[in-house]
Amino acid sequence: MKKLAVCLVSLMILSAGLAMAASQDFQVGFVYVSPVGNAGWSWAHDQGRLAVAKMPGVKTAYVEAVAEGQDAERVILNMARKGYNLIFTTSYGYMDPTLKVARKFPHTVFMHCSGFKTAKNMGNYFGRMYQARYLTGMVAGAMTKSRIIGYVAAFPIPEVIRGINAFTLGVQRMNPAAQVRVVWTKTWYDPATEKEAAKSLLDVGADVLTQHQDSPAVQEAAQEKGVYSIGYNSDMSKFAPQAHLVAAVWHWGPFYREMVTQVRRGTWKPKAYWYGLKKGIVDISPMAKTVPAAVQQKVMAVRQAISDGKLKIFAGPLSDQAGKVRLTAGQALTDKQLLGMTWFVKGVVGSTQ
Amino acid sequence: MGMRFKISRRQNPRRLHSGLVLLAAVGLSLVICALLLEQQGKPSLRGLMLLFQGAFGSGWALQDSLIKAVPIFLCSLGVAIAFRLQIWNIGAEGQYALGALGASWVALHFPDLPWFVLQPAMLVAATVCGGLWGLLPAVLKLRMRANEIIITLMLNYIAIFLLDYLVYGPWKDPSSFGFPMTRMFSQNAVVAKIGAGDLHWGILLCLVIGMLVWIFLGFTRLGYEIRACGENVQAARYARMPYAALVLLVMAASGALAGWAGFLEASASLNRLEPSIMAGYGYTAIVVAWLARLNPLFIGLAAFLLAGLRVGVEQLQLELQIPASFGQIMEGLILMTVLGGSFFVTYQIRLLKKE
Amino acid sequence: MTENFAISLLAAAVQSGTPILYATLGEILCEKSGVLNLGVEGIMMIGALAGFMAAASTGSPLLGFLAGGACGALLAAVHGWVCLSFRGNQVVSGLALTILGSGLADYLGTPFVGRQAPGFDPFALPLLSRVPLLGDIFFNQDLLVYISYLIVPLMWIFLRNTRWGLSLRCAGENPDAAVANGISVTAYRWMGTLGGGFLGGLGGAYLSLAYTHLWSNGLSAGRGWIAVALVIFAFWRPERALMGAYLFGGVMAFQLRLQAAGTSIPSSILLMLPYALTIFVIVLASWRRPQSAMPTSLGVNVEPTE
Repeated sequence: MKKLAVCLVSLMILSAGLAMAASQDFQVGFVYVSPVGNAGWSWAHDQGRLAVAKMPGVKTAYVEAVAEGQDAERVILNMARKGYNLIFTTSYGYMDPTLKVARKFPHTVFMHCSGFKTAKNMGNYFGRMYQARYLTGMVAGAMTKSRIIGYVAAFPIPEVIRGINAFTLGVQRMNPAAQVRVVWTKTWYDPATEKEAAKSLLDVGADVLTQHQDSPAVQEAAQEKGVYSIGYNSDMSKFAPQAHLVAAVWHWGPFYREMVTQVRRGTWKPKAYWYGLKKGIVDISPMAKTVPAAVQQKVMAVRQAISDGKLKIFAGPLSDQAGKVRLTAGQALTDKQLLGMTWFVKGVVGSTQ
Repeated sequence: MGMRFKISRRQNPRRLHSGLVLLAAVGLSLVICALLLEQQGKPSLRGLMLLFQGAFGSGWALQDSLIKAVPIFLCSLGVAIAFRLQIWNIGAEGQYALGALGASWVALHFPDLPWFVLQPAMLVAATVCGGLWGLLPAVLKLRMRANEIIITLMLNYIAIFLLDYLVYGPWKDPSSFGFPMTRMFSQNAVVAKIGAGDLHWGILLCLVIGMLVWIFLGFTRLGYEIRACGENVQAARYARMPYAALVLLVMAASGALAGWAGFLEASASLNRLEPSIMAGYGYTAIVVAWLARLNPLFIGLAAFLLAGLRVGVEQLQLELQIPASFGQIMEGLILMTVLGGSFFVTYQIRLLKKE
Repeated sequence: MTENFAISLLAAAVQSGTPILYATLGEILCEKSGVLNLGVEGIMMIGALAGFMAAASTGSPLLGFLAGGACGALLAAVHGWVCLSFRGNQVVSGLALTILGSGLADYLGTPFVGRQAPGFDPFALPLLSRVPLLGDIFFNQDLLVYISYLIVPLMWIFLRNTRWGLSLRCAGENPDAAVANGISVTAYRWMGTLGGGFLGGLGGAYLSLAYTHLWSNGLSAGRGWIAVALVIFAFWRPERALMGAYLFGGVMAFQLRLQAAGTSIPSSILLMLPYALTIFVIVLASWRRPQSAMPTSLGVNVEPTE
């Protein structure tokens, strides 16, 4: 027993020595909710991390597949203890854990993705993916013949609802009579269920499918049925060469590099960073040849208008699913309202629960 | 001339011997892990050191491992009681969810009660909800002869979707910008931390209930009856043991304990109810319970070690950038090796020279 | 419209039930021999990955399918080794197998995410597909579904009417009697374990080769657990496993179609449906039954005789 105790103590001392030997580099930590290998949400963030890792004097590390809640708090806490200078937490469920740790480590900068809380040393950030969704919606609206578009979606949270709404408004810009049907899978990642959900939408006559999911199963369903599809997260055309029209994609790299630079220079402010098309954090992939040139031009023109700030997507007149007027002409939804969007615009068929 | 083995059950397995065998098994599995790390091109010795350091190698690490062990321990204690009677409760996950639901309901409806009233009330609600969720399969088993494995497993899914429904719907915090979470609990509803550290008083609850269950199972008549019935239902019936009552009792207790874990997670760790409370503790609990041979004291140890392993693996991930799946592989291998090793605790092999 | 809707729903029930069916049949075989293997989820993951990898590298989906089964059996062999050779606790070993299998599949499979592999596509069986209604539901599927149609009666016959099948059941029901009759319990338990692993692996391979044509981490997404539950639902009988798997797959497909049709019921409530229905049916079915169908020695390791 004594020997064991001695062993334990010596191991403790040794490991403490390991921890002390931290480098002088600026350390940036990333916490991901799913394995990076999945080519979805976390993968897109990790592409951003790789861009940061190329900066001189910067060291990055990540922990993947971290469950939200207690586990997340511990992982973030650990990074802070180890002297990481800047920590990005990339799932909405990390919001409270990030805040708790931020309070304990006032000299570490925390950035939480997709939430709404800030503190002295904690900011939040997100991309205006809804702008890219709107553009992809335009493509869908132009290409549908049945006027039914299927949307396979993960969880009814504002981020997803906002995307569905923007997409629907884009559809209606090109095709006012078209409707968007939503099926919730209640999972970010279950290819078989996603594919089944896609098929259920095909059965009710959808001829363009899109998704807010991490796997390309929906693209595959569209390809097999011979209808069109619109991707998300990254260009998914290799999964559905004939079906894939366009995708709404993330480019986190420039944003992450900007944040690292700001924190190192001391110009970083704890606020909500919500960048859009203009900064390139979201965009659309190149459109397929099947999309007529006239449509492509129109989409690119609108892309420019959004980027220049000339076009606001959630602007009045705007009615909700039940026909109730939410915005009159001349009004526009504020960022705060957008962040907490829990209702569907007119033209969406489905429940928000 | 050939060799022959003779395998026989050990008559009196000695403590020291068992300990050494298990230590050897753990050692072997760590060697396998080191080899795997080497194959990855990572420094294996440093890897094992990091694993240990992350799990038990500092005050923080010990604290983290203890906190993580709390829900696993309670759920495991619960299922162990049921397993003693050979009732296959796979439903700790759902009972845990219901416990969290019950406690949250109280916390959300009576936020202004003083803590010494509110927290016991939450505990009672968790006990009732978790207990009832455990009783349901027990009643179906006794009345309808429905197999408890399938019922408890299915009830897990239903409980999770029920929790989902509430936090996405009626219980959603109006100021959460539409995110699926309830309002933050009032300070009175949050189980306090011990001193300045991160450890909460729930750990004390675990110690007390762990001791109580140990005494109950080992030294009371009812505890004896549970074990006797579990070993042989027919004989126990013959001895007029109240089998049905025992089934109800163990399932209610099992559910209540898992419910407590849900209460502590919601109150002390999350300070609210949200879907991320479901982290699979209910399933981990089954592994822990059997690994500890259904002994409450060993369950405490096994829960702590397994929690430590998971905490330590995070360290390994962060420092050496190995994928999360590597941690799973290690956990699986360690469990398998320890399990295989337990053979040498129970049996002895002798080499016989064949003439 | 409604007729088409019903046909497509039932066809979807068959398709989404098939991976669960393979895994359930495997677990029945395994449990009939007296071995409880809770690692079906891990076996399916490995099967899905191995199937995809083999199909991608050889270009033959059929080889991929078999490789899925073989690797499923290989993983099950770990369970057999721990439980049958070392008499480890079957519950822990099975759960550890799930952890190990999904970890291995994620770890080895990451380079294959986003790759393409040849798979199975639906084709109409001649003659049979022209049977009204049934043809559209059952005989417009892919090859692996047709194979599963064959496995069910084969297994039924195997368990009831062959000597091997009877001995295997005896190993699970009454190992002592088996030994007395000169049956090697360990050998038959190995047979059940490996055969069960093989079928579980095939179920996994179905997911990556036919249901979808892609590999991704966590592809089985809990289907292995459903299979474990359906074994009990089926009272350890292959033909009832067929019913259970299709029923479960059907309700899942139904709730998605209900959403697509524009229902306003919250999705959490709809998602409870398959599980609630399973409970309902199992309670009704068990009520009418005088006794449990569980193999008597399920999960109990045999003591070494020598």
